[in-house]
Amino acid sequence: MTTALSVREASKIFGGQVALDHVSIDVAPGEVRALVGQNGCGKSTLIKILAGFHQPEQGTEVTVGGEELQFSDPASSESIGLRFVHQDLGLVGNLDVVDNLAIGQGYLTGITKTIRWKQERIAAREALLALGYDIDVRRAVGGLAMSERTAVAIARAMSTRGTPAKMLILDEPTANLPGPEAERLYTLVRRVADSGVAVLFVSHHFDEVFEMADSVTVLRDGRHVITRPVEGLTEDELIEHVVGRKLDEYDKEGHSRQHGEVILELKDLSGAAVQGIDVTVHAGEVVGIAGITGSGREEVAALVFGGHGHGGEVVLDGEVLPVSRPDISIDRGMALVPAERHQNASLMSQSLRENITIVDPGRHMSMGILRHRSEKSDVTVWLERLDVRPAQSEFTMAQLSGGNQQKVIIARWLRQEPKVLVLDEPTQGVDVGAKADIHRMVDEAAAQGAGVLVLSTDHEELVRVCDRVIILRRGKAVDELSGPRLTNDSITAATIGRDSSEPAA
Amino acid sequence: MSEVQAAPRRRINLGFDRFSGLYVWAALIVLFALWIPDLFLQVSTLKQVLTFQAIATIVALGLIIPVAAGAFDLTIGGVVSVSVCFTAWALVNHHGVVVAVVGSILLGIAVGLLNSLVVVKFKVDSFIGTLGMSSILIAVAAMISSQSQIVLSTEGYAPFLDFARGEFLGLPYTVYYAAVIALFMWWILEYTPGGRYLYAVGGNPVAARLSGVRIGRVTMIAFVTSGAVAAFAGIALTATIGTATSIVGEGYLLPAFSAVFLGATQIRPGRVNVLGTLVAIFLLATGVSGLQLAGAPSYVTDLFNGLALIVAVSLAVRTASRRK
Repeated sequence: MTTALSVREASKIFGGQVALDHVSIDVAPGEVRALVGQNGCGKSTLIKILAGFHQPEQGTEVTVGGEELQFSDPASSESIGLRFVHQDLGLVGNLDVVDNLAIGQGYLTGITKTIRWKQERIAAREALLALGYDIDVRRAVGGLAMSERTAVAIARAMSTRGTPAKMLILDEPTANLPGPEAERLYTLVRRVADSGVAVLFVSHHFDEVFEMADSVTVLRDGRHVITRPVEGLTEDELIEHVVGRKLDEYDKEGHSRQHGEVILELKDLSGAAVQGIDVTVHAGEVVGIAGITGSGREEVAALVFGGHGHGGEVVLDGEVLPVSRPDISIDRGMALVPAERHQNASLMSQSLRENITIVDPGRHMSMGILRHRSEKSDVTVWLERLDVRPAQSEFTMAQLSGGNQQKVIIARWLRQEPKVLVLDEPTQGVDVGAKADIHRMVDEAAAQGAGVLVLSTDHEELVRVCDRVIILRRGKAVDELSGPRLTNDSITAATIGRDSSEPAA
Repeated sequence: MSEVQAAPRRRINLGFDRFSGLYVWAALIVLFALWIPDLFLQVSTLKQVLTFQAIATIVALGLIIPVAAGAFDLTIGGVVSVSVCFTAWALVNHHGVVVAVVGSILLGIAVGLLNSLVVVKFKVDSFIGTLGMSSILIAVAAMISSQSQIVLSTEGYAPFLDFARGEFLGLPYTVYYAAVIALFMWWILEYTPGGRYLYAVGGNPVAARLSGVRIGRVTMIAFVTSGAVAAFAGIALTATIGTATSIVGEGYLLPAFSAVFLGATQIRPGRVNVLGTLVAIFLLATGVSGLQLAGAPSYVTDLFNGLALIVAVSLAVRTASRRK
């Protein structure tokens, strides 16, 4: 059998830590393979070796269609037919589709080196049509739907102006896609595979593994666990392979916890999209807010935290919080784990210690000197409590995988023992194991008396952690679900506008 | 990850990534010691290097603070000039040493406040904002000095001149000023919450703000610090050379930036830091004075500084990307 991609004995060690341990995989032409595993399992290390970003250890061999990959050389991986689409897509939002396709591969030019725009446009259109997308190629990429942007990125990766693509590698292709758009992407990937190109995609979403992949490879702790066809595999089996143990059944008793006094009140809170919502959170209670993109959900965290100017009031423990003063909100006991941690939360080139203590760096000050040693042991306790891997306080944030970075950000705030904890998409791009850990931490924070507000597009997550969920539609709170009415399907139905049987709260 | 897997593979680490500057420095000293032993291996050479570099060191130390917070301060050269001209003008017009010194420092602080007004309130990019401000300062310095050289005679201004020229253990006071400021900056950056705030604002201002850091205030304090320190350097410079011209400070701008950025590749790679900056300054100074003693023409200073900066930073970028 011919193989499109053959990886032999791939290993990589970072400063004594084994990230990838003699991993071998083969992918056949036309096959769609999912690569799954927890954060830190070695998926991204493997992808980065293929992309020519990391130099693997001695003994590693990679061939694509029989040609050997020269390591640490992105040009080599391109020239033997490897193509990559990263999670952030790498598109330039204010340029149109034609320009975005031409970035990297160059423009078609005439003898005078003038760009032949007409041919460019036709070529761009055809490339997208071949993937099943009919898009006006003169539109700026920033204005396209997310799945259309993904299609542009894939079209660019597949372009054959250089050597033909043999292997398409996608990093979390549907991470940012709402349901129906994700489905379009499945069709797209299928088309790519049908043209004889092998596809390898990294994923945390098991639904896309089952929808899209022919076969799946699981990595755990840098090692190959299993490669098998998706057919006949159940979701529970897959989870077990990924985490190496059976996941605890969701513990529902947490939802009958005792609630205390009102700790957080949003009174007639308004912003650009949010139009006057009232929310009350009690101590020890977990309240969720759900809503589709554009419902105002994505704005709530910033309004609550005083990040933007707003109308209405945020009352924390009886006191009105000033607008646009995160520092005062924090002093009064509020904590925010924002969405998009790279932009909003991480200090990438700084140590985990500095990342965690940035909220109150003075805590370990004595006689005018910050005591690094006591800071370190304090931080290490938190890294271990959240099972951050590696639990090395002096590693920089950039050395960790996404899920572990998120745990560090959560540790930053739990360490403050906040009265109110606001979590915005707390498990975005995070693997199953880390997600379960984060959910457990939310339970614990609430058990210790914090009022928790969770904003999420992951409805299963809301069902898992929340006592009740408020539904936003067009900037208004239109419904509230709790008890037996709090299910994945009822949230989905309510967010897209099917009114529930009971009148809105 | 299990214990077995995590067993570290020990490699002998000579710290070439963090301490390459120290190795190069040692190599330079050995090189010149072998090449021109009679000229180079003198106490006077050491003294000369320390004395010549003291003021440049002070300016660079001040600059570390805004750069740590992710802001360029291109006004430091201009502040040195204004401070030199104001000090000399106040002294020759008999306003007294106190007015000269306090006035200069206040001018430095005022420039820092103006910089932060432009950068924080008007949201002008710090590179552009301070570039404009530095041009204004050149004009101010020229106005103060009435576009001519002010000379402070050795006899008339002895007490003031001693402020810099006085010696302790064979070294002029300026060397000690630089040492004290270095110690202070090192403490601030490494051992106080203020240092954490500066690096956080420099690293990711959005994350810093959402973690409760008041980024506007931190930026303002950073600019005020570099302004005040540059003004102090100007006072010391006036006392050292005894003359004032409106362009004297410009020569301190590029060396300070070179030292800070070269220093960011040392000791704590990837971030500007005090020890790295000191290593950078003395590495460059040793190379330059060795070459000059060996008979190289004076333009070799700029040539050597420029090459060293580009080579060192390129190497640092390479090792950083390999480590990933």
